[in-house]
Amino acid sequence: MAEPKTKYDRQLRIWGEQGQTALEKASICLLNCGPTGSETLKNLVLGGVGSITVIDGSKVELGDLGNNFMVDESCVGQSKAKCVCTFLQELNDAVKAKFIEEYPEALVDSNPSFFSQFTLVVATQLAEDSMMKLDKICREANVLLIFARSYGLTGFVRNSVKEHAVIESKPDHFLDDLRLNNPWSELKRFAESIDLKVPDPVAHKHTPYVVILVKMAEEWAKAHGGALPSTRDEKKEFKELLKAGMVAMDEDNYKEAIEASFKVFAPRGISSDLQQIIHDSCSEVDSNSSDFWVMVAALKEFIVNEGGGEAPLEGFNTRYDIFN
Amino acid sequence: MVVQELLLLGIYKEISCCGLHSIAALMHSFACICLQIDMDTIEVSNLNRQFLFRQSHVGQSKAKVARDAVLRFRPHISITPYHANVKDSNFNVDFFKQFNVILNGLDNLDARRHVNRLCLAAEVPLVESGTTGFLGQVTVHVKGKTECYECQPKPAPKTYPVCTITSTPSKFVHCVVWAKDLLFAKLFGDKNQDNDLNVRSNDAARSSKNADDVFEWGENEDIEQYGRRIYDHVFGYNIEQALSNEETWKNRNKPRPIYCRDVLPDIMTQRNGNNVDKTDDLSSASAMASLGLKNPQDIWCLMENTKVFIEALKLFFTNRRKEIGNLSFDKDDLLAVEFVTAAANIRAASFNIPLQSLFEAKGIAGNIVHAVATTNAIVAGLIVIEAIKVLKKDTESYRMTYCLEHPSKKMLLMPVEPFEPNKSCCVCSETPLSLEINTHRSKLWDFVEKIVKAKLGMNSPLIMHATALLYEVGDDLEEDEIANYNANLEKVLSELPSPVTGGTMLTVEDLQQEFTCNIHIKHREEFDEEKEPDGMVLSGWTQALPEKKDAKTSNGNGASTSKSLPTKPGNTEIDTEVKEISDGTVSPGTKRKLSEFSDGSPVDHSSDVDETRNNKKIQKHDDEDELVMLDHWDSDMSKKQRLP
Repeated sequence: MAEPKTKYDRQLRIWGEQGQTALEKASICLLNCGPTGSETLKNLVLGGVGSITVIDGSKVELGDLGNNFMVDESCVGQSKAKCVCTFLQELNDAVKAKFIEEYPEALVDSNPSFFSQFTLVVATQLAEDSMMKLDKICREANVLLIFARSYGLTGFVRNSVKEHAVIESKPDHFLDDLRLNNPWSELKRFAESIDLKVPDPVAHKHTPYVVILVKMAEEWAKAHGGALPSTRDEKKEFKELLKAGMVAMDEDNYKEAIEASFKVFAPRGISSDLQQIIHDSCSEVDSNSSDFWVMVAALKEFIVNEGGGEAPLEGFNTRYDIFN
Repeated sequence: MVVQELLLLGIYKEISCCGLHSIAALMHSFACICLQIDMDTIEVSNLNRQFLFRQSHVGQSKAKVARDAVLRFRPHISITPYHANVKDSNFNVDFFKQFNVILNGLDNLDARRHVNRLCLAAEVPLVESGTTGFLGQVTVHVKGKTECYECQPKPAPKTYPVCTITSTPSKFVHCVVWAKDLLFAKLFGDKNQDNDLNVRSNDAARSSKNADDVFEWGENEDIEQYGRRIYDHVFGYNIEQALSNEETWKNRNKPRPIYCRDVLPDIMTQRNGNNVDKTDDLSSASAMASLGLKNPQDIWCLMENTKVFIEALKLFFTNRRKEIGNLSFDKDDLLAVEFVTAAANIRAASFNIPLQSLFEAKGIAGNIVHAVATTNAIVAGLIVIEAIKVLKKDTESYRMTYCLEHPSKKMLLMPVEPFEPNKSCCVCSETPLSLEINTHRSKLWDFVEKIVKAKLGMNSPLIMHATALLYEVGDDLEEDEIANYNANLEKVLSELPSPVTGGTMLTVEDLQQEFTCNIHIKHREEFDEEKEPDGMVLSGWTQALPEKKDAKTSNGNGASTSKSLPTKPGNTEIDTEVKEISDGTVSPGTKRKLSEFSDGSPVDHSSDVDETRNNKKIQKHDDEDELVMLDHWDSDMSKKQRLP
């Protein structure tokens, strides 16, 4: 972005550049611009969506004035699509706004290919049979579709979207993955270089909790035929062992180890969800495959080879303090 | 047709925009008289969601423009705009008594508490609301029937211990606070203000005169030389001084001193001629522009940050000389943001903390809250729904509704029945509080600022000790009374005309808010500098386990609540502004930590990435039916989802 888009500053802090770009590339088609449709589009327009096309065959009536603030008295008798479009354009002149005065049901019947040009169709207040036809059309054309209907204080919203991949989902939570239940070789060596029972009390309370866990887990595994604590009792016992390793009450590293001990209990290997994905037929990629499946194919290779059955470690760049 | 009057308070920043239009539309069966109070003017960054405003309105009063916009589609309702601060004395209890309901969309805790008290005093129902990003909530407060807004103490704005900022930063936000409140203030702000910039961890002598002279710009000093000198002093010399104190660094990573000559060997000559004759456009001077740095989302390297630091300083002194000595940081002042970003980054580099972009730094320094149109639209709708219930006096239907980002039990909106008033709420139940304080060391001024104003949220307090009036504020005071009160402020508590010592009780009142609070004083000698930086501890304002009104589940919508355990769903209070953000959790990419659930299965919830790791904010697991008692059932509870 060439210059700070001050207008979008507050929302950029939610979805970042990527999200904003995706929004600006999108073209939306709205069917029926009653209150529901208008309100929906308003939020997209304010956010800077690429383009909108409003389709509605009706004229503005007096009754509309009480529930749709995009039309006012001067609009009565005019095309509703036109009035709403004009209002929306005012909200954000960066958005390309068009309207077509036609009834959506008719358009669905007469010109199905019309919808292929859009990223997303928002269909409001459509009757069931039109919804079914539109759904088919959009699926074939690979266009996203959202239905909405509202009645007084109730309503529904329904998505109709084919399988799509979300990369970089920005999850709210992440498990800082040190693979403590199956440490990689450098970590193992690092842990080996440290003696848990070091006599100096200062050094003792500065042993990183990660090292404590790696070593204690290894000891446990040795005594239990290679397995890590899995039952409730075993987990409890493990924690007790950790506690027993403390020589003073104020050893925060041991407390941290106890708190984080669940990382050692996590089952090894990849989850069944991940298994399903890498074994999906789409992971046999060719030049037509989407980016997502190419990445899955790469992941599959890693797991089978370098990973030794495990996925790559999640990278993070601020966790230097763990090794403090 | 019943004439109903609605008072709409606050701010078009977010909610009232939608709220006004919704109300206008829905209230067609009532002759609606609305008043609106908002002291803000319209800014460009409002335009992504405040849809009653256009580009052409930037700079104008929100209250006025909003009113005009609404009249266009509801010409026959009566709306009166007040471009004013809701804390003005005109908006007193009598003013509030005129209305059937108050709708509040303010953006700071202080004003909200003020309004809460006025609503209690006037006995008018209050519908409170707030949003941040994808989260929001609407709550209903009716005196005697439900909790008041303050029954659950709200999280205080995050502050950092002085020594963390001045000597031992460990997070980027610490560096930003240093750059903004210390360095920027020292260089460009009021020279007479106390400044901790030269304080070292165990240095008893605070700003010594000699040290301050270092920051003065020499008579004929070349401006770039000056910049380098300041740079070397704060990033080089000061760090070396700090390193000489071994104790501090025993258990911490040592910072490294950074000198200008190591990063930027040559003096920066005029580059690309851009800034040579920039005498015409003084106000829009920008270091980034003259250095060719285009993207505010880029993270600059140490050298770039150094260049920006020096260039920004240069531009301040060449183009904005007159302002120096009076400047305070403003997030919309690009040059100030550039300077603070650069300074914070260099300090971060020194302390081995990851650097951030200008965009990020600006968010932290300016306490910017992320906001989007959709959440506000949802919350606006909810406000109106609750308002209608209030007007119909449909008490059983009142709900506190929380708008979540991710569905909980497949619901994005969580309605919860309001709790009964908290019997130990010092606002609506008038419970007395206790204060531990060193009565021989703390002055009345400290008490007024830190406790009465900051913690209790009083604006115009009156302080009495038995029958002696120790302090008051008012327009009708005599000169000698004012002098007397000012003198009292400077005295330590035990030496006041009516001595305040351990065991005594102070009564504090705010006449406008009609709020009285009794405080028992306990003398205590020592306070922990880090954990109790104020040197006083207020207690007694605890959260009682509120009794649910009755044992039925709320709403029958599946948001089941246990009979005996108080529950709040994933996120409770979300204020749209907090004074200092905790831990820089503003950016979209930042992630929060997963913590352990007591029986070993990880729980999805967010907790502060806190140094003390003391957060066991265990919450309702999305897929489980059982509810878990929270570990810390105190004021920390409501900051379950602490948002910037």
